[in-house]
Amino acid sequence: MSIINNTNFSETLKFWPRHNEAIYRRLESKHSWVENGGDGAAGDPLENEMILNIGPQHPATHGVLRAVVKLDGETIQGCVLDIGYLHRGVEKIAENKTYQEFMPYTDRMDYLSPYSNNVAWCLAVEKLAGIEVPDRAQWIRMMMSEIARISSHLIWMGVGLMDAGAVSMFLWTFQAREDIYEIFDEVAGARLTVSHSRIGGVATDLNAAGINLITKFAADFPAVLAGWEKLLNRNRIWIDRNVGIGHLSAEDVVRMGMTGPNLRGSGVEHDIRRFEPYLKYNDVDFIIPIRTEGDALARYFVRLDEMKESIKIINQCLDKLKTLQGPVRANDAKKSSSSKNEVFYSMEGLIHDFMYTDTGVAPPKGAASYHAIEAPKGELGFYLQSDGTGNPWRARMNSPSFTNLQALETMMEGGVMGDMVILIGTIDPVLGEADK
Amino acid sequence: MQFLQLDFIRSDRGLQIMPEKLTNGIKAPKTLPFEFVPQEAETAVLNNPHAKATTLVDDVLDAMEASFGTAVLERVVYAGERTVRISTDSLLEICTWLKETQGFTYLADLAGIDRFTEEDRYEVFYNLVNMTKGKRLRVVIRIDEESMTAPTLCDIFPAANWNEREAWDMFGLRFEGHPDLRRMFMPEDFEYHPLRKEFPLLGVPGSMALPPQVPTGELTQDPFPAAHGSKTPWSFEEVESEDDV
Repeated sequence: MSIINNTNFSETLKFWPRHNEAIYRRLESKHSWVENGGDGAAGDPLENEMILNIGPQHPATHGVLRAVVKLDGETIQGCVLDIGYLHRGVEKIAENKTYQEFMPYTDRMDYLSPYSNNVAWCLAVEKLAGIEVPDRAQWIRMMMSEIARISSHLIWMGVGLMDAGAVSMFLWTFQAREDIYEIFDEVAGARLTVSHSRIGGVATDLNAAGINLITKFAADFPAVLAGWEKLLNRNRIWIDRNVGIGHLSAEDVVRMGMTGPNLRGSGVEHDIRRFEPYLKYNDVDFIIPIRTEGDALARYFVRLDEMKESIKIINQCLDKLKTLQGPVRANDAKKSSSSKNEVFYSMEGLIHDFMYTDTGVAPPKGAASYHAIEAPKGELGFYLQSDGTGNPWRARMNSPSFTNLQALETMMEGGVMGDMVILIGTIDPVLGEADK
Repeated sequence: MQFLQLDFIRSDRGLQIMPEKLTNGIKAPKTLPFEFVPQEAETAVLNNPHAKATTLVDDVLDAMEASFGTAVLERVVYAGERTVRISTDSLLEICTWLKETQGFTYLADLAGIDRFTEEDRYEVFYNLVNMTKGKRLRVVIRIDEESMTAPTLCDIFPAANWNEREAWDMFGLRFEGHPDLRRMFMPEDFEYHPLRKEFPLLGVPGSMALPPQVPTGELTQDPFPAAHGSKTPWSFEEVESEDDV
């Protein structure tokens, strides 16, 4: 039975008719394997094929994800994802901004861990222009990125559990996130869109209050996490809703190019922090949690363990920062913004500041490089091409959510409708960066 | 106050004069190279502080050149990264070879590049990763403005699917044999390819229909209807819906 044969979309849909028609045609053309007699009561949607639109404004889709699914009873026969409802064309914007000007835009990409994005962008530009970053700045960046990783995983946990029906977890994780917001507020001056990293270092050094907050958080959080684990790890409902759901083998995830915890939940040992170590990840002691089951539960345990490892890294950073003093920004006015002392008290400094704001870093003509970091959701990389001016010629963002969402169609097909929200949660997409 | 000392970095080009101090102890006026001089990539830093060991793939490139000969057109090294440009016709062959014999089983990224005024205007790059040996390689093909087509990589790397759709959406590059070449971000009703250099940053007015402000209203082309006198009804006001009519 064809669903769309008798439908003239240009008449029924006045808004983007060609777009919707293409989606339904794609859904129709998909191979479906669920054998069904189809002799149920006519007109009963539970007995017949049914097309259901989920999103883009459904709260369980974690943003503006739109999924069009073909249902047979409760089984998902085919699924077509439609993204782009948050498309702002940041790659185009980046081409029209200086390198430093674009940095605040990265806050709005993966808005659950803005600090990681800042660091990813700055590292990419530093690689392109060959800028060396002072050690202290690297340790600060690493510590704050790990805090951002925890904050991102907390959202995944809270929202994922709320989707499964545990609303109290959502409130508890937001309590912990509030502590993290306070840290960012103290360190960067903003709670969500931190924009703390600078090309060549960070904006400000940590102050005593910030270090105290981080120390307190790193000391308290493991106990909080242990409490949640007590609640969840043997929780019958949570386990049953996750075990065996969205199973992907190690070959599958590599084939489909998934990254981050989704990759490691299927037993693939790949983490950019080990694969091509950046910042000071070579100097800290931590493990990469890996599970081999490849289902939603495995990914839950991977992310849980990652939070514990992050705390381990944060503690080592705190220890290191006690003894490691020094500048937090490269002392080179051509490559990094000058310090306020220079700008306020010297003519050259003022001119440098003006030039840096106006043109900024100008990597050599024809330069092109790719730098990736392990963001909370996976490999976040920027491929930059320079034409010798202060604006990138091409700024390509390889965002983990986009990469991971690609596999969601495959994961959903053959599953049941009730697991859909669990599957979206286990992928952990942020549409801000998937839609670019 | 650790930044107070004003030691500006001296570069080896430009206009600066640099006697550190005059004999009477007063600093000489410095003429700093403020004017903008684009550098060529060759003169750039060779020892990049962010260079990674994973990008040292010369053995793979040598083997590729030995096997495919003239299909390998160009090898570029910047910041330790190896980029190899191959001919578009042998893309599938070389990628299959990379995957099956060299272990590059993971496609990390794929995207288009608009070179605008150059010959062979478009480029597509493929970021391939060998997970077991820890290698990363970038393969580049160039596409002529006349043809605008490249072979699809979906059969070898299913991960290429959405990225190729994105390249089609953003640059208008067609991938031959792609199973589902729809637009990725923009709606099908949109007629432009926004990441091309000639597409204006502000967009093309009237290129995309926007939803009406009330359910029964007309589609609009105006992104700021409220600023132009159109009033949205308050939430407590009953709006006549299609069902009522």
